[in-house]
Amino acid sequence: MVKGVVDWLDERLDLSDLKHFIAEKGVPIHTQEVWYYLGGMTMFLFGVQVFTGILLLLYYRPSSAEAYESVQFIVTQVKFGWLIRNVHSWSANLLIALAFAHFFSVFFLKSYRKPRELTWLTGILLLFLMLGFGFSGYLLPWNELSFFATKVGTGSAGAVPVVGHFMLRLLRSGDDVTGATLSRFYGLHVAILPAITTALVAGHLLLVQRQGMSVPPGIERAQKAGKLGPLAQMKFFPNYILRDVLAWYVVLAIVAALAAFYPWELGTKADPFAVVPPGIRPEWYFLAVFYTLKLIPSHIMGFEGEQLGVVAFGIVAIVLVLVPFLDRRASRGERSPVFTVLAALGLVYLVVFTIIGHYAK
Amino acid sequence: MSQIARRCLPLIAAMALFAPSQATAQPAQAANTCLTCHSTLADTRLATPAKLFSGTDIHRERGFACADCHGGDPAAAEKARAHDAAKGYKGAPRGQAQITACARCHSDADLMRRYAPKQRVDQATEYATSVHGKQLAAGHTNVATCASCHGPHGIRLVSDAKSPVFPTNVAATCAACHADPRHMAEYKLADGTPLPTTQFADYKKSVHYAALTKGNDLSAPTCNDCHGNHGATPPGVGAVSNVCGTCHAVFATKFQSSVHAQIFDKGCVECHSNHAVLKPSDAMLGSTGHAVCATCHSGADDKGAVAADTMHGQFEQLEAGIRRSGALIGRVKNAGIEVSDQELALREASTKLTLARTEMHGFVPASVTPIIADGAKIVESVDAAGEKGAAELRFRRRGLAISLGAILLLVVALGLKVRQIDRRSHS
Repeated sequence: MVKGVVDWLDERLDLSDLKHFIAEKGVPIHTQEVWYYLGGMTMFLFGVQVFTGILLLLYYRPSSAEAYESVQFIVTQVKFGWLIRNVHSWSANLLIALAFAHFFSVFFLKSYRKPRELTWLTGILLLFLMLGFGFSGYLLPWNELSFFATKVGTGSAGAVPVVGHFMLRLLRSGDDVTGATLSRFYGLHVAILPAITTALVAGHLLLVQRQGMSVPPGIERAQKAGKLGPLAQMKFFPNYILRDVLAWYVVLAIVAALAAFYPWELGTKADPFAVVPPGIRPEWYFLAVFYTLKLIPSHIMGFEGEQLGVVAFGIVAIVLVLVPFLDRRASRGERSPVFTVLAALGLVYLVVFTIIGHYAK
Repeated sequence: MSQIARRCLPLIAAMALFAPSQATAQPAQAANTCLTCHSTLADTRLATPAKLFSGTDIHRERGFACADCHGGDPAAAEKARAHDAAKGYKGAPRGQAQITACARCHSDADLMRRYAPKQRVDQATEYATSVHGKQLAAGHTNVATCASCHGPHGIRLVSDAKSPVFPTNVAATCAACHADPRHMAEYKLADGTPLPTTQFADYKKSVHYAALTKGNDLSAPTCNDCHGNHGATPPGVGAVSNVCGTCHAVFATKFQSSVHAQIFDKGCVECHSNHAVLKPSDAMLGSTGHAVCATCHSGADDKGAVAADTMHGQFEQLEAGIRRSGALIGRVKNAGIEVSDQELALREASTKLTLARTEMHGFVPASVTPIIADGAKIVESVDAAGEKGAAELRFRRRGLAISLGAILLLVVALGLKVRQIDRRSHS
């Protein structure tokens, strides 16, 4: 039957190019190929987010008076609403974890080097967008924790020099976190960010398909030195894609188990006039930054400490975007230990500060 | 208003403010040689007052000086002239003289209005009606006077946490005399028995002391809340339930309507004690064990014993139900099922239990039973909702197990397929 449909389409659209691409596309087989699957798993979870997000949209009401109650209604009254909400929350967290894993695997394997600068660029922007999804989505249940964490998070944006106050008002839709902020975050979460993300994912995938999988520089150098022959190829369809699907199923099983055994808390409804409860902290993926900003002294050489911290993180973000253009040695196929060390230090910093931030009072 | 008049107005106002008053006591504005000399004396008995007065002292802070209480000439450099009786020097006022010295200002409404407009001015009058005041009038100079509680020098506001009469310090201040058997030896109760000195030790075991010192509840009662402060006297027979009822109003009303109100000499104290008021429990009710009712009531024929046992059983039953339901709801909640309505209902059931315990002070089981029945009905509905939640939880877990099994099968099938395709590719 599938063949019949393909033939029918072929007759009308001439799919010979596509058929040829599918038949010829191969994936190099080597010791590091396991990291290739992280990108596909991240994309799969993005699909889960879109699917569960659309279902949640059917019942969610984005206003400070109704948001909390609507989420409560979803998890208590809507058939399988609890499952959809839990899967949405858990897969969002797994997605960010996998996106970070994908980012570090690409960094360590130097897959950003010429000619894949654009793939890196779209990828790093996607990572920032995923963090944006997490930040905007966190407020939507309008509970106490998310309300005050958003207040702290948007407050940090206010520390950006020159445009800080403008950014704070832009994010909050006013001077404080209110129902207007909720509407704004809702718009960001369900329309603006998904639109940009869809375009970037399409571009990212197109580039990956067009340029093929990157082979680690160490293997390339061994080939050039004649120590290693041409790499064996695995067919993309169906050998590689079936492995990808297998990994997706494993991820799905993990999400389902987490959703059933560790349900996502609803908390208590946000009360803007309540005293800030103790232990307010952002989601785990912002903990390292949050804790670092907390550690910085209030004033350093006449400058505000938080302002300096925010500027430093901004510079780090810009450097990350420009990595393929800065790491000239990797582009020439040479070893670039400086960037490997920097990536390792970045990874250690993120892990250590996230753990300390989690336990710090 | 003319230009000159407008310019002179602040001057006239300032003159009016600092003009000599006709009040009996005035802050001494002149040089104070008392402190200059006394602070250098080797005799600590004479030097300490100067040191204390120079530190935190509300009187000094408000502009008063040594001579305002002790008399004499604070401007004189020689001891003889400074301590001249002709200049009103009266030394350290003790006993009734101290009450008079303090009352000179503190009973003067006009004067006190200037410094503490809200403060009462009847302390001396009240003191005269107190046991302390009466004993003093009878010639017992060992009794407490103003300085015994407030201190003679270094006097702080009552609202100052370091003041000996700040709520958390009152009991220790009273205990300085009342817990000292030697000090209290000469005083006897009306029946001739020695005055007890265990009040402070008993009070320290009480819920009131715990609330005040551990719970930081400054409204929790200490000595003066039941005995009065300046008019300190033990609450008389019949007045006890009024004293307790000041805070425990509902309990007092129920008790007044009960048959025990006519029988109990000491009211609330009969069951709850006076200074060692322990946390009440349902174990106090009943006709067996350590129940306080058992002192008078026992046996199946005793109506009081039956009533006490009935109410005790009802309380235990409702409390056990609330505990059981709470555990069930907690389990279901932990598993992610929304139970805020049930939590609210359980709080309502707990309120019913408290209401029933309050109603018990009327000692009529018939008025307790309907409240307990209401509570039991709530617990029943929460139990039903909890069971439904537990069933939902089992359904979710079973569903997940089936889904995971299906996914696992798919993973295995895919793995086999991948291996088959790989093998075919190699061949």
